[in-house]
Amino acid sequence: MTRTCTVAPLVVAFLLLCAHAQAQTPADAATAAFKDDVHAGAGLACASCHTAAGAGAYQTPRAAIAPLCATCHSDATYMRRFDPQVRVDQFLQYQSSTHGKRMASGEARVATCSDCHGAHGVRRVSDPRSPVAPLNVTTTCARCHGDSARMQPFGRTATPPADWSASVHAAALLTRGDASAPTCTACHGSHGATPPGVTSVANVCAQCHLREAELFRASPKKDIFDAIGQAECLVCHGNHRIESPADHWVGLQEGAVCTQCHDQASDSAKTIGGMRDGLERLSTAVSAAEALLARAEYAGMLVDEGRLALREARERQVQSRVLVHAFADEPFTTTATGGMASARQAREAGEAAMRELQVRRLGLAVTTLLLVAFLVTLGLKIRSLPDGPS
Amino acid sequence: MEQNRSRRRLLNWLLGLWGGGVLGSVFYPVVRYLAPPEIPESATLSAGAGSARLLLPNSGRVVPFGSRPAIILRTPAGELRAFSATCTHLDCTVQYRPDLQRIWCACHNGEYDLNGRNVAGPPPRPLEPFEVNVKDDEITISRTS
Amino acid sequence: MMAPRFRPWLEERLPLADAIEALRHKTVPQHRHSLWYYFGGMTLFLFGLQVGTGALLLLYYRPSAAEAYESVQFIVARVPFGWLVRSIHAWSANLMVASAFAHLFSVLFLHAYRRPRELTWVSGVLLLLLTLAFGFTGYLLPWNEISFFATRVGTDIAATVPLVGRGLVRFLRGGNDVSGATLTRLFGFHVAILPAIATALVALHLLLIQRHGMSVPPSVEERAGQDPAAVRSLPFLPHFLLRDLFAWTTTLALLAGLSTFYPWELGVKADPFAAAPAGIRPEWYFLWAFETLKYVPATVAGIEGELLAVAVMGAGAIGVLLLPFFAGHTPPARRVVVWVGIIALGFMTVMTALALTGTAP
Repeated sequence: MTRTCTVAPLVVAFLLLCAHAQAQTPADAATAAFKDDVHAGAGLACASCHTAAGAGAYQTPRAAIAPLCATCHSDATYMRRFDPQVRVDQFLQYQSSTHGKRMASGEARVATCSDCHGAHGVRRVSDPRSPVAPLNVTTTCARCHGDSARMQPFGRTATPPADWSASVHAAALLTRGDASAPTCTACHGSHGATPPGVTSVANVCAQCHLREAELFRASPKKDIFDAIGQAECLVCHGNHRIESPADHWVGLQEGAVCTQCHDQASDSAKTIGGMRDGLERLSTAVSAAEALLARAEYAGMLVDEGRLALREARERQVQSRVLVHAFADEPFTTTATGGMASARQAREAGEAAMRELQVRRLGLAVTTLLLVAFLVTLGLKIRSLPDGPS
Repeated sequence: MEQNRSRRRLLNWLLGLWGGGVLGSVFYPVVRYLAPPEIPESATLSAGAGSARLLLPNSGRVVPFGSRPAIILRTPAGELRAFSATCTHLDCTVQYRPDLQRIWCACHNGEYDLNGRNVAGPPPRPLEPFEVNVKDDEITISRTS
Repeated sequence: MMAPRFRPWLEERLPLADAIEALRHKTVPQHRHSLWYYFGGMTLFLFGLQVGTGALLLLYYRPSAAEAYESVQFIVARVPFGWLVRSIHAWSANLMVASAFAHLFSVLFLHAYRRPRELTWVSGVLLLLLTLAFGFTGYLLPWNEISFFATRVGTDIAATVPLVGRGLVRFLRGGNDVSGATLTRLFGFHVAILPAIATALVALHLLLIQRHGMSVPPSVEERAGQDPAAVRSLPFLPHFLLRDLFAWTTTLALLAGLSTFYPWELGVKADPFAAAPAGIRPEWYFLWAFETLKYVPATVAGIEGELLAVAVMGAGAIGVLLLPFFAGHTPPARRVVVWVGIIALGFMTVMTALALTGTAP
């Protein structure tokens, strides 16, 4: 009796201790995460997906995950209950994707639904905490595609995510918060993720860079590029590491992208050289005008019309750079000339302000002369007064 | 004695001459200052936007508003509207597209509807609206307070 | 001929003859310290200039937060000679403060506050305080970044006054923080209330000077012995007035040069929601007080440091105001006044220099 009394509490304490000391089971972790899940909010529970849960089996084989999600997410009638506008073709797209095809052929080391969306804490894509939200999606893709250990068995490099991070699009998205900037999914697709066809990726670029695409397609280059099977935009601008283009990309000097195909002897050398000179002259004119206006403002003059003209010159400069994509003398030359005219207007406004400054100084000189003459005469008058000066 | 008198007269005359000059160089700027300048008000609060008669329905034009551009347009229904012409994406100057009946930005294909709301493409915010008034065929646009 | 009959016509109606007679008898003593006599008239001339240029600026200036900065920009850029009127107004304000201080200190060192000139001194000190108030209220009117934050810092100090501090700050700011309401309020002070008070005080000050004549410093009196007639003097009309005119014209030339080569800057428009830029400080004539506050420790013998400093400065101001009533008349007593003046001037100069060179405490 006494022995049970002493041992029993010890046993109970030991069991309680063990219960606390044990790490949270996967089931516990999943239950906790599921509280924030969008499915929980829709009234679903563990058994809705884990249909064999009664047997204690929660593990789902990787190849079975996508078909499992598809039982609801491809059913238009079912999904309409929760969101009448939601798409129901994700599984079809997945099956056409590289991930889906490989999974179907037995390769389990590729992405499936839960790898990107999560399993038990699934949030809406519009939720900023979701791993597939626009600002997070590249980090999610990079988990595999930036890991050389994972990519090596497939003979792929792991550089694209790092390359993209150095691009203007990454800067737009992550630094400026511009959610319209393209991420991995913009060119590769999300559910239908596939390396885009070399000739079709330009269609994606064209969605935002419409003007450049229109010009290119109307230019002689389109047929040439189709013939040699080269991607429109990628040859000069790259695919992942798209950096800010610079004026010196155009031309026949060393380092210019045109030299990939052209040299001094080619027919288009004159056009290329013309565009190069046009861009350089415009850039010099704009900088000179800016410097002059800044000087005038620093001296206290206001140059509103000059600023407006400079703004116009800058816009013409941007337009000229866009018109390079027509790869012809016109309409580039007209716009560049227009830009020169605006830059000249800006410079003239700056020069007028500086002249006005000179006019003021001249007016001051005249006034000062009058004042000095007056002071001298007054001094003489004072000295000439009777009961004289001190 | 006489010399003194005439010297004094000369001195007084010179004093009057230079003194008049000094007074003139004081009063000339004051008089010029008092006359109101051509554009009587600062163009940062309101600006002229040209003739109303010449602005046909379903057309628009970009006009200066201080040192920034503004766009004045007449809707197909005939109503005058005005907005800041600086695109809210990357500051390019927008233009009116009669074929789209929208305000369009050439830089990245952004579109705004006729209420200035951003409806397509990258622009994140609507265009700032301005008040429009017409007097004697002259349109005046001004900042809304 | 109209001219010969014009004067008798006027004299029959206006007391011109009396005024001119009084001025004709006015004399100004001539001695080694006579140069300082010019500073009173110089301050008055600069005040007149401020009223004139201020009235011109009023034709185009708009006292609201939305329009003030743009209206000053308009004056400087679009109105013919607007740049000149504005720069003269700004430069002349600074010259006037300097001239007023020079006038005060010279009167102090030359002991011109002695009986019967006590009220002249009191009205003069009040005028100096008004001049500083003019400077403070006018500084905000262009509504640029520097003046906005300088006003905020300056009005913050009013909060240290016990009991009425809170109310005083609300009175100055027209609210709890510096806003468009502050601008309108300070504008009202600057163009109406302060000028009205100043006009009355200037009239009193000038009347008293006419009544009592120019003071001769004790050292000069003693040297001249018991005979006051031995002190040489100039007639005010025309000798001294012409010399005054010489000084005023030179100042005008100086202002024109400053306005052309060092035009007053426009600055950046005030944004109440932006963070204060580094290096905010008030105008140079407040710098000594500003710097002193930085050197005062947080607490002194249990009293909040800033409160103590403001109290001391307040007491100092009252002391200056009432100086003639407790300053002694014997040579040793006068020497004390001179030394106090030298220490005060030295202190203000050193503090201003420290503030300008950016030496941190």
